[in-house]
Amino acid sequence: MEKKGRRSFLEIATAFIGGVLSLAAGIPLIGFAISPAFKKGESKWVDLGLADRLKNSRFKKVDYTFTAKDGWVKATKKRSVYVTDAGNGEWRVFSRICSHLGCLVRWDAEKESFLCPCHGAIFDKTGAVIAGPPPEPLQKLETKVEAGILYVKES
Amino acid sequence: MSYAGIKQFLNERLPLEALDTHLRKPLPKHINLLFSFGSLAMFLLLLQAATGAFLAFYYSPSPEHAHNAVTYISTEVPFGAFVRGLHHWGASAMVIIVVLHLLRVVLYSSYKAPRELTWIFGVLLLLIVLGFGFTGYLLPWDEKAYWATVVGVEISSTAPVLGDFVAKVMRGGSEIGAVTLARFYALHTIWLPWLVFGLVGVHLFFVRYYGSSGTPKNTPEEMKAGKPFYPHQVFEDVVGMLILFVILAAVAIFVPVPLEDVADPTNADYDPRPEWYFLFLFQLLKYFQGPFEVIGTFVIPTVGMLLLLFLPFLDRSERAVLWKRPIALTVTSVSVAAIVILTILGGTSKKLETTEATVQETAQPTEHIQGAATPDTETEIVEEGEEVFDFQLTEEEIEGAKEVEASQ
Repeated sequence: MEKKGRRSFLEIATAFIGGVLSLAAGIPLIGFAISPAFKKGESKWVDLGLADRLKNSRFKKVDYTFTAKDGWVKATKKRSVYVTDAGNGEWRVFSRICSHLGCLVRWDAEKESFLCPCHGAIFDKTGAVIAGPPPEPLQKLETKVEAGILYVKES
Repeated sequence: MSYAGIKQFLNERLPLEALDTHLRKPLPKHINLLFSFGSLAMFLLLLQAATGAFLAFYYSPSPEHAHNAVTYISTEVPFGAFVRGLHHWGASAMVIIVVLHLLRVVLYSSYKAPRELTWIFGVLLLLIVLGFGFTGYLLPWDEKAYWATVVGVEISSTAPVLGDFVAKVMRGGSEIGAVTLARFYALHTIWLPWLVFGLVGVHLFFVRYYGSSGTPKNTPEEMKAGKPFYPHQVFEDVVGMLILFVILAAVAIFVPVPLEDVADPTNADYDPRPEWYFLFLFQLLKYFQGPFEVIGTFVIPTVGMLLLLFLPFLDRSERAVLWKRPIALTVTSVSVAAIVILTILGGTSKKLETTEATVQETAQPTEHIQGAATPDTETEIVEEGEEVFDFQLTEEEIEGAKEVEASQ
């Protein structure tokens, strides 16, 4: 009877120590792996060019690059946006990344809409969803004009 | 589904009761704490596998990235220095524990019949542990990594007949570079892990199949009259694992893992030193010079390993504790003492101090065109007061020199 009691105590103690060990090793390891999810991205202003050159009542496709830290690499990132000025100093810069699953949208001047080639999403010229599965409008980037240069906020 | 329901479901499908009975089989009497080293080695293997698998999330095996990636792990990733510390110091702990495990087996002559195969697979595992060490320390791509690997690969090139070929295969070419790093990474993270888990599987199968050897003083009756493996032995093992983990974690937290400057193949001021567990070999090499070099680099290590591998067939004496076997005691003591002394000598050996500054020039094809071109010579004064010249020409200067030569 006594033997039985000792055995079950040892079994519980063994499982307990095993659990402690798994947590002591597992928590740092999992924290190590998932930490990028908690990292706040740095935002910065990136110039798109002289505002006068970009002025256009229709959407212009503009590609630009900027450097940003990518892990241990200082990487050159490439982005593509649609730019138009709505007059009265207001700029509309839309990310081309579809808010559904990340494909790149294209501006169709005839239909005056952004079309996504993947799942049939359609956005109007304000970025609002007209058709298809996207849950949100196209991302509109923050802009500013300084010394005649148009900047967008990259994050 | 209730707990009882799940248990019944599994019991109907898996031989869990038979497994439980097997695990509760009694061990031999007189089992002591020395019999936990195997379990501790297993624990360390799993810890190395886990920390290594996680480190791989942030590593890139290319000379352009490796050093930066390791710096990033150590300085920017949360828990990064700790995880790297566990992996780095865990490797050293692994070497210590497997050697203690081997010495316990020698102490009680547990390698004797019928356990010869268990021993042979154990020695192969020791070799793989050393292989993990060798392939692992190139990965940070710092000075130590680079130069220790240069020397390590050169050692293999001294082997007769196939030496040069083996060295080229190891490097993936004639010098250490991107291809070497990629293949060392592949060996360290894919080939050796598959091999080690396969061999551990076989080793463990033999351990369970033949049962624990116990100590030589056990009578045949006592061999099956000790405590059950589970939970008694397992409990002692996990306590040992907990103690080992606490020590390792403390070292990982308080002793930063060194990371030297990025590998520089032109740095002649660097004194290469291997990891501590290869220091005995490093020191041994100093005693064999000229035509005798191969004795230190190849003959002694190979013969030593073969003797160790086939020890059960060489030592045919009755099973007894080590101090009752004078020859085995002498050989073991001399071997251990030699390795310890060589390690200490290797570790304390003075690094080379260059007293005379030598003038080093980066060799470029300048001499035959020196009259034709006047290249910019940049002279940099380095810390030791040694001048380093760089006569390298720009492409325009080389073109200009060619034009001058053609017009003459």
